[in-house]
Amino acid sequence: MTGGSAGESLGAVVSARGLSRTFGAKVALEAVGLEVREGELHALLGPNGAGKTTLIRILLGLLEPTGGAVELLGREVRRYGKELGHLVGFVPSGDRSFYLRISGLENLVFFARMRGIPRRRALERSHELLEHVGLAAAAKERVGVYSHGMQKRLSVARALLGEPKLLLVDEATHDLDPDGAERVRNLVRLACAQGSAVVWATQRLEEIRGLADRVTLLHRGRVEFLGSVHELTALARPREHVLRLTNGRPAGPTMHLAAEQALRGQGTLVPAGGGDSEHYVLLLDDGVVLGDALSALSAADVKVLACRERRSEIEDAFLSLTSEELG
Amino acid sequence: MTALAVELRKLPAFVRRDFLVAWSYRMSFVSDLINLAGQALVFAFIGKMIDPDQLPTFQGQQVTYLEFAAIGIALGTFIHFGLQRVSTVIRNEQLMGTLESLLATPTRSATLQIGSVFFDLIYIPLQTALFLTAIAVTFGLHLEPAGILPATAVLLVFIPFVWGLGVLSAAATLTFRRGTNAVALGALLLALGSGLYFPVDLLPQWVVTAAELNPIALAVDGMRSALLGGAGWSEIGPIVAKLAPLSALSLLVGLGAFRLALRREQRLGTLGLY
Repeated sequence: MTGGSAGESLGAVVSARGLSRTFGAKVALEAVGLEVREGELHALLGPNGAGKTTLIRILLGLLEPTGGAVELLGREVRRYGKELGHLVGFVPSGDRSFYLRISGLENLVFFARMRGIPRRRALERSHELLEHVGLAAAAKERVGVYSHGMQKRLSVARALLGEPKLLLVDEATHDLDPDGAERVRNLVRLACAQGSAVVWATQRLEEIRGLADRVTLLHRGRVEFLGSVHELTALARPREHVLRLTNGRPAGPTMHLAAEQALRGQGTLVPAGGGDSEHYVLLLDDGVVLGDALSALSAADVKVLACRERRSEIEDAFLSLTSEELG
Repeated sequence: MTALAVELRKLPAFVRRDFLVAWSYRMSFVSDLINLAGQALVFAFIGKMIDPDQLPTFQGQQVTYLEFAAIGIALGTFIHFGLQRVSTVIRNEQLMGTLESLLATPTRSATLQIGSVFFDLIYIPLQTALFLTAIAVTFGLHLEPAGILPATAVLLVFIPFVWGLGVLSAAATLTFRRGTNAVALGALLLALGSGLYFPVDLLPQWVVTAAELNPIALAVDGMRSALLGGAGWSEIGPIVAKLAPLSALSLLVGLGAFRLALRREQRLGTLGLY
């Protein structure tokens, strides 16, 4: 396990040490450390119930930890809670966080006023952000008629109202279509590029590739990994691929035998579940390149009609760190 | 700018938000007025059956039952809205998921409580004044113009009492979610023993005695004395002096309970649950 340490907290926007939180007998967080620097996009990765939302709520000051401490820009959240609120922007996971009977513009202006921004500036800033998130045309429509994606972008706009030093994003894209999710990611990337530290909680593993600078992997309230996405990928188990094979004859034991002989020394081929005799799972041996294995199949007159990764490398790493048997 | 000034500057934003939300339900504006008019009509007919000699006099002024009841209805409506408003807002914020978003902003809980009722503090007195004016014009209600300012003073001192109960009810909503009728039941008992709709003298003696320290009874009596009997500051002053500490106590208890309820939710991590 690679535990989070706040030993190098110089210049950190967020510095959490030994955070614990229990709900009755249930341990939601146990001695969690987290450090996020300015301009860093830090993924908080973990399955359901890992403690991601609990951690975010503690960072927001909405929940008190039972142990440990969190500092935002060197000031303790427990002590300065409300005063630090203007440094933080929050994108919640659900889509129920706006007044549905009033317009997107009025919602933004209201929340801007709650951040202490004077009305005229709140109005200007709200218009700027609605433009920024692509909602200018819908600014005066009631939020109740917005789609999920629009509400989520409005949520990002709200989080950026106060030009936050820290942006907390909790499962922001889990219910969005790929296009909507990418738009939200781009908006957050941009905020990060402009200097905000971002904590991005997600259970969607593929999302963090190319997005996060570093990853904290939480499992059952504990930090199981802290490092870069590349380092997480390096923990992957051997890759598995699902192949659809044919050799011009009805699929069956003959083709399976031919394919196995072709792959000898390169990997193992096992029929995929579901009783479909055209689909196999290829488990590559260490050091074997997929292309070589496919070439060997072709040379044995076994045609590869389709090939896909059964799980991503990152998902493998995630599973190996969080599964009961291997963790 | 001081922290207090920053918080005070947020209040107009609550008023605008609540006005826009209320305006989006235009029919409820109309139905509120129709409801009040309906009540007035019922009491006007009941008044025809009641001998004014059965009613108390105010500064020696004999009043009709409709005049007597109109002040009670107006104050009763104010109490009803005031009591339920904060808890309704808190409940709605929980259901809409906006409570956590609000609490994630650098806004103090006291500002949230005041902000939640600020629109009603403006709207309900306006609605009440409109109601009384409409009754006065339609049914020939006799109101003493000289009593308007003293009556307003009584109302202003009474507001923190209702608000305190409302915030207490909101604290119960935060803690128990549902089944928070205990506060409303308490207020109903106070209202029954206050003479809002019938003279308190008709009630058992111990209720009559208790009414001397019942804030609702004090407020309605003060407002009737001012608006129907034309009582001046010298008569209203002692009522205000009795009412003020009770209002302050109610507000302190309410705000304290709300603060404790909020802290409890943050400690338990159940703020967003409903």
